[in-house]
Amino acid sequence: MDYRRDIPLAITFLIGIIAVLDYYTGVQVITDTFTLIKNWGVVIQGFALGLGAVNLLRVHGKRISQRSGGTDWMFSGWLLLMMAMFIVVGLGTGQYDAGPTYSWIYNAIYLPLGATMYSSLAFYMAYGSYKVLRARNFDAALLFITAVLVIMGNTPALAATFPGLFYTREWIFGPIVSGAYRGIRIGIGMGAVVLGIRTLLGMETGYLGRR
Amino acid sequence: MSIWEKMTSLPREIVMGLVLIAMIIPAMNPLGLPLFTGDMSRAWYNTVDALPAGSVVLFDVGYGSGGYPSLGPGNIAAFHQMFEKDLKIVMMATALEGSMMYPLVMEGVKPEQNYGAVYGEDYVFLGYIAGGQTAMAGVLGDLKALVSVDYEGTSVDSLSIMDNVNGADDFDLVAYMTTAGGTAEGWVYQAYSQYNADVLGGCLSMMTTSIKPYYDSGQILGIMDGIKGAADLEFLTGHPGDAIVSSDILSFTQALVLIFILIGNVSFWMTRGKGEAS
Repeated sequence: MDYRRDIPLAITFLIGIIAVLDYYTGVQVITDTFTLIKNWGVVIQGFALGLGAVNLLRVHGKRISQRSGGTDWMFSGWLLLMMAMFIVVGLGTGQYDAGPTYSWIYNAIYLPLGATMYSSLAFYMAYGSYKVLRARNFDAALLFITAVLVIMGNTPALAATFPGLFYTREWIFGPIVSGAYRGIRIGIGMGAVVLGIRTLLGMETGYLGRR
Repeated sequence: MSIWEKMTSLPREIVMGLVLIAMIIPAMNPLGLPLFTGDMSRAWYNTVDALPAGSVVLFDVGYGSGGYPSLGPGNIAAFHQMFEKDLKIVMMATALEGSMMYPLVMEGVKPEQNYGAVYGEDYVFLGYIAGGQTAMAGVLGDLKALVSVDYEGTSVDSLSIMDNVNGADDFDLVAYMTTAGGTAEGWVYQAYSQYNADVLGGCLSMMTTSIKPYYDSGQILGIMDGIKGAADLEFLTGHPGDAIVSSDILSFTQALVLIFILIGNVSFWMTRGKGEAS
């Protein structure tokens, strides 16, 4: 008997069965047990965040000590410095992320950086649209026509002037996109059911780090 | 090199520079271009509007700094409507940065000043709850078993808004705004599929295609899709803000992108013969 394999499999089976029974039976004692398990799950995931921070420290600390990746180690150093600063400020004030100093640092540094990172995509998408959306052949022409119609329908002033453009976008999003997406989701759902059953039966051990 | 050949490969700096100019002009000089409120935003507005005063809404602030420019204005407009309607809002965050977005949004709404709302009586923020769908299931299953204190560390038992709120059956509406696909669909699975709850979803524009099937099937009652949806909500609620200004920018930049796509295609076809010959 391989305890390192069998004990996690037994725990998974037990929790999985309780989850399934809770959904289908609604018996109070099962519901209460599953509520407890869900709360454990939230706590464990909270610990996982802490583990992530430790791992971040380990990976970037190693990069700094080895001066690897050209000058990239400097970014690692900056990352760890910022992490230390947020931890010190958060814990030092005793108010964690609700403290005014923490909020100020976040709003002055991280918020604009985060917003800029995401917003800068607009420039690359504009250039990408210009370079890629060309009707080179039949397939590309279909993509080109669809993209142009969706962009036109999504442009507020154009949609307000010509409401037909907006409804065309809606039609593309409806029968065409929704139809295709539902097919994909149903496929994924069936796959998830099969994976769930295989995991419950101990036939799937990938999550244990085994093949 | 002919003009068409030049047009077919414009330098990145030119394209991006012109896009930047198209953003700056309406940002500095809002033009108030017309808006067309979409069905999904209107459905969001009507769903909230139909709730009687005192109804309890569970609201997930499921985005961070990257999503704030798109979702923040819509969140503010949504809260304006909810406070105007005298609804009770139980807020939580499934995104780690959600707890940092909460003060920014409340600064825009100012519920105490504008609506005489009282923290703990009319609204509460439970903070970030780790676990994604596990957190959703926990909040909807037995909220008080999972959350004992609010974001400020006050016991939830001492907050009057939480007196009769224990789980999914006590919420009249579940609403979220998120940049995460897993969260957007997770609320459908956990709130609608499990408890048949009314769900409203806010997401980035590029996520609309993956969320809309749930709207078409009635599993989500309304969608606020990105900055366009936010502008619609601002218009419908009568609280114009950043999203309406941004919709001018959106009109300008997207019109420019359409022009570039047109230039790219015309120049491609004009030079195609030459390319094949060479």
